[in-house]
Amino acid sequence: MADILQIKNVSKTYDADGDNPVHALDGVDLNIAEGEFVSIIGPSGCGKSTLFNIIGGLIDDHDGEVLIDGREVDGAHKDVGVVFQEESTFPWRSTLDNVAFPLEVEGIDKAEREETARKFIQLVGLEGFENHFPAQLSGGMKQRTAVARTLAYEPRIMLMDEPFGALDEQTRMLLGDKMLEIWAALNQTMLLITHNITEAVQLSDRVVVMSYRPGIIKEIIPVDLPRPRTSEVIATPEFGTYVGKLWTLLREEASRGMAEAEASIAAR
Amino acid sequence: MAQAGVIKGTVPAAGSVERSMDGRISRIRLFTCIGLVAVWEIIATLGSYGILYNDVVPHIWNIVIAVGYELISASFYRDLGMTFAAHSVGFICGSAIAVAVGIWLGTNKLIREAMLPYLNAIGSTPKIIFLPIIFLMFGVGLESKMAKGALSAFFPVVFTTTLGMMLINPVLIRVGRTFNLNKWQMITKIYMPAMVNPVITGFRLGVAITIIGVLVAELKFSDGGLGYRLGIYYEQFEIAPMYAVILLIFALAAAANTGMTKLQDRVNRHMAPTTSKGKKARASASGGLGVVN
Ligand SMILES: Nc1ncnc2c1ncn2[C@@H]1O[C@H](COP(=O)(O)OP(=O)(O)OP(=O)(O)O)[C@@H](O)[C@H]1O
Ligand SMILES: [Mg+2]
Repeated sequence: MADILQIKNVSKTYDADGDNPVHALDGVDLNIAEGEFVSIIGPSGCGKSTLFNIIGGLIDDHDGEVLIDGREVDGAHKDVGVVFQEESTFPWRSTLDNVAFPLEVEGIDKAEREETARKFIQLVGLEGFENHFPAQLSGGMKQRTAVARTLAYEPRIMLMDEPFGALDEQTRMLLGDKMLEIWAALNQTMLLITHNITEAVQLSDRVVVMSYRPGIIKEIIPVDLPRPRTSEVIATPEFGTYVGKLWTLLREEASRGMAEAEASIAAR
Repeated sequence: MAQAGVIKGTVPAAGSVERSMDGRISRIRLFTCIGLVAVWEIIATLGSYGILYNDVVPHIWNIVIAVGYELISASFYRDLGMTFAAHSVGFICGSAIAVAVGIWLGTNKLIREAMLPYLNAIGSTPKIIFLPIIFLMFGVGLESKMAKGALSAFFPVVFTTTLGMMLINPVLIRVGRTFNLNKWQMITKIYMPAMVNPVITGFRLGVAITIIGVLVAELKFSDGGLGYRLGIYYEQFEIAPMYAVILLIFALAAAANTGMTKLQDRVNRHMAPTTSKGKKARASASGGLGVVN
């Protein structure tokens, strides 16, 4: 399959000319094939969200190139949908109106956009909550609303920044199954940021492991587990092998991150 | 199952606690009211024997009769109309300018940093010190009351609007950008709905403060209006009518405030459910999570 997304030597420094420049990303290279499911995992602060903001066209003062279908990204792009890490539903809109939002913006008439929105609300398991407002939903339900809203935009590439971070492990697994169903049904290319090793292995074709400060890609692990996959895959020995491999890689990063944090506290 | 039982057991209990609390609150209010009336009448009776506050505290029935007289006198309605006109024109002009300025200050950091010290200084000064200037510029008539009303309305609205603009959740703006909203859609679908709540809060404060501003101007120097009417009764030592006007102003101000609070609650009904009704909705939403999962 052709690469839908190419990330070429992307670097980003925040506050480059200021007193405290933060070197968030350093020379990231990554190619994503059309229809692939790729997870990105790495210690907190290693630049994962920054990378998504660059792919989504929300940050333009970066080095290197991001290409979609071989064309350079310049600003927000119809082919890319982003689910942000932060709570991002519109508090003044019901679940239905939140999910229908991108369609409303495109000028699709009310009946049609609501029908589409209902379909995606059902996909993320929020039926019955169409007329609730975000203030009446739990954190995880709000995140699912945001996922449904981006799905309704029907982008070719979905960027999801820890959409299920606020959920308990069991719900997260079941939603993982749901995500795989959606992915199979919609033929999208999925990029998922997660802190959860199990989730990464359960869902992905490849897992990208990033390292801390500056953020670089440390290793890319292909996950050769059979598809279609369900959460039952976690009981297999192969699954355990992948989890073990990832943990070994991440433990080094995590302990390095913790040591650096301790050192900076001690320095103060 | 057991958990469901616990929830079923506590919800009605919590409800009945709330209800008995409500009952006690209204009883305390009633007794306070009766107590005040009783004290008032005692002072009034002492006064009529020349013992205490001679003639300053009229009997309540005299005040009630005076209220009745006010309500059937044409000149009361003329004064009410003048106050209403000064208030509404002043409020509309002052708050319209304030919303525009607030949006500008909220979006333009440079101007905001430059102007905020001045705004804070003037905002926290009693606007009454500007009355002489206003009278000099606009005369005794309605215009000066409108100007004072506008000046009073301006500050609460400009502060809440500026703050509201600054505090718009930046992630919502990023959401707008990823969905390719054009400038106009950004304004109508994100900025405006996000601003409704802070602006309404400013309006509510503004309406209340404008009433004070207009009345003060009328009391000071004018040819009509409820404040003027109050001043005349006071100067002529017509005590019962004076209390009647005070009561009527009080009722009008309370009604205006209640109306604005209702409006704000209506606008905010989805934002943060703080009413017991909202709490119930939140409870049912989290209860429903089990069904979905
Ligand atoms: N707008 C910004 N201005 C300055 N520095 C920033 C900004 N956004 C992020 N950073 C810094 O860049 C680094 C990477 O941030 P980023 O949000 O991409 O991390 P992350 O990998 O998503 O972390 P997490 O897993 O905690 O979400 C961090 O050190 C952060 O402090
Ligand atoms: Mg992040």
